[in-house]
Amino acid sequence: MRSLDQIFEHSSRSLARRTSRRSLLGTLGQVLTGAALLPLLPIDRASRAQAAEGKPKASGPESCDYWKYCAIDGFLCSCCGGSSTSCPPGAAPSPITWIGTCHNPGDGRDYIISYNDCCGKTSCGNCECNRNEREKPPYRPSRNNDLNWCMANADANYHCSVSVILGVAEK
Amino acid sequence: MSVEKLPPKSPHWVYLFDAAFDNEIDYRVRLYDGDTYRHLGQIDAGFTAQFNLSPDGSKTAVATTYFSRGSRGTRTDLVEFTDNATLSPAGEIVLPNKRVMTAPNLFGVAYSEDGHFVYASYVTPAASFGVLDPTHLKVLSEIDTAGCVLVIPSGPNRVSSMCESGRLLTVTLDADGHESARTMSEPFFNPDTDPVFVQGIPIDKGYAFLSFLGEVHEVDFSGEKPAFAPVWSLVTAAEKGHWRPGAEQVGTIHRKLGRLYVPMHEGGEGTHKDGGTEIWVFDMATHKRLARWPVHASGLKNVLAVQVSQDPAPLLFAATADSEVAIFDALTGQMKHLEKHLGQTPWMMLNP
Repeated sequence: MRSLDQIFEHSSRSLARRTSRRSLLGTLGQVLTGAALLPLLPIDRASRAQAAEGKPKASGPESCDYWKYCAIDGFLCSCCGGSSTSCPPGAAPSPITWIGTCHNPGDGRDYIISYNDCCGKTSCGNCECNRNEREKPPYRPSRNNDLNWCMANADANYHCSVSVILGVAEK
Repeated sequence: MSVEKLPPKSPHWVYLFDAAFDNEIDYRVRLYDGDTYRHLGQIDAGFTAQFNLSPDGSKTAVATTYFSRGSRGTRTDLVEFTDNATLSPAGEIVLPNKRVMTAPNLFGVAYSEDGHFVYASYVTPAASFGVLDPTHLKVLSEIDTAGCVLVIPSGPNRVSSMCESGRLLTVTLDADGHESARTMSEPFFNPDTDPVFVQGIPIDKGYAFLSFLGEVHEVDFSGEKPAFAPVWSLVTAAEKGHWRPGAEQVGTIHRKLGRLYVPMHEGGEGTHKDGGTEIWVFDMATHKRLARWPVHASGLKNVLAVQVSQDPAPLLFAATADSEVAIFDALTGQMKHLEKHLGQTPWMMLNP
């Protein structure tokens, strides 16, 4: 999986080509809110987010109960040849995502999660997982997990979904 | 060797939209008869499709996407029409590759009241919609909706879209399908504290929208601007936050009888797609609950979609998380039939 910075840089460029300035300001801004958080994270917070990934969990990344999956909807890439943060071989990450806020019971903190879809192959079909904590309908697109977030990929087919920690949610 | 012909249309037919979630490039619309319990035929629907019926029921419009190599390759977005008397293709309109790809609902693709226009929702994620001419099979225009999504049709030439602020944007079109005016309503719900489902339920002059916590927002779309009726609730103060609606198609109304059927379940925040363990029946005039039908206790999985026929001896169709479709007498709640397996993920149903 490419770095998130690469993904979002590509996202901004490609969407700018396809959308009017007004719609870019109106919609893209909120969709990429989560993306913007990562480069702004202080180093200690980013490393804490990384540490949270590796802590022992009550359930692991192949289980729908895994804490990071609190607003995921689709097939877990961990069961499809990828991991909770990487796409399976030959699939492409979506540059645009929806955002969730999940509570990590391991450290008692809330984390902002980016749910990227992996695209370009048909549905994986393994480990279907639909959780909807704080999920909103599609008039709040950045919080909606029903949209196919492969929509802006060259190959827009949906394969599976990952969950990437963007940072600690401020209270 | 011959090809079957469809019998004359019955109010007890239902078009069941199968999102085929395990293989999403293969959505289907299945036509099913609630009297004979037979699958009558199928309309293919491609990838993450939306579908709707023409006002006279003679045509099906499927807004969908195909890839040139099956699951990959060049993407083509289009609206495909089917003649519902034969279930044969009846033309198509190729769209810009912007079509909304989301869960089935009434407002992904929709006809104007007179059938003169078809509207196709676009999300790239920038939001807009296409105005289509289903007679001459062409795209007439694209209307920027400034972040508001979906196409709620009203009258011969108005389209409303739902905005993240809880408002409705309403665009009026001229005879050529171009924008002639737009208005923005006041917020009619609070998207932060109690968002509404986008699966509107047809009422006489518009749609009812249910909220996550069980409020009923009836919106009259018959005038130039949407008008909002006083909000009422499906739940008592004691039930609020515990019992709530939840499903893919979250309610249906028999308009003459004024009865509302809602899949309800016990659960907290985040359970709005869990499906109903019970179906609650309400009187739309008095807002009183008339019945609770404990479908889960009868052995059904959670109900994810409901549709009631509009005739005087109505059937209630309930599709479940296990691909079952149960058929109830909509007046008594008696289950008349259980189709054990109808499609893969049946998430929306429409009357013929």
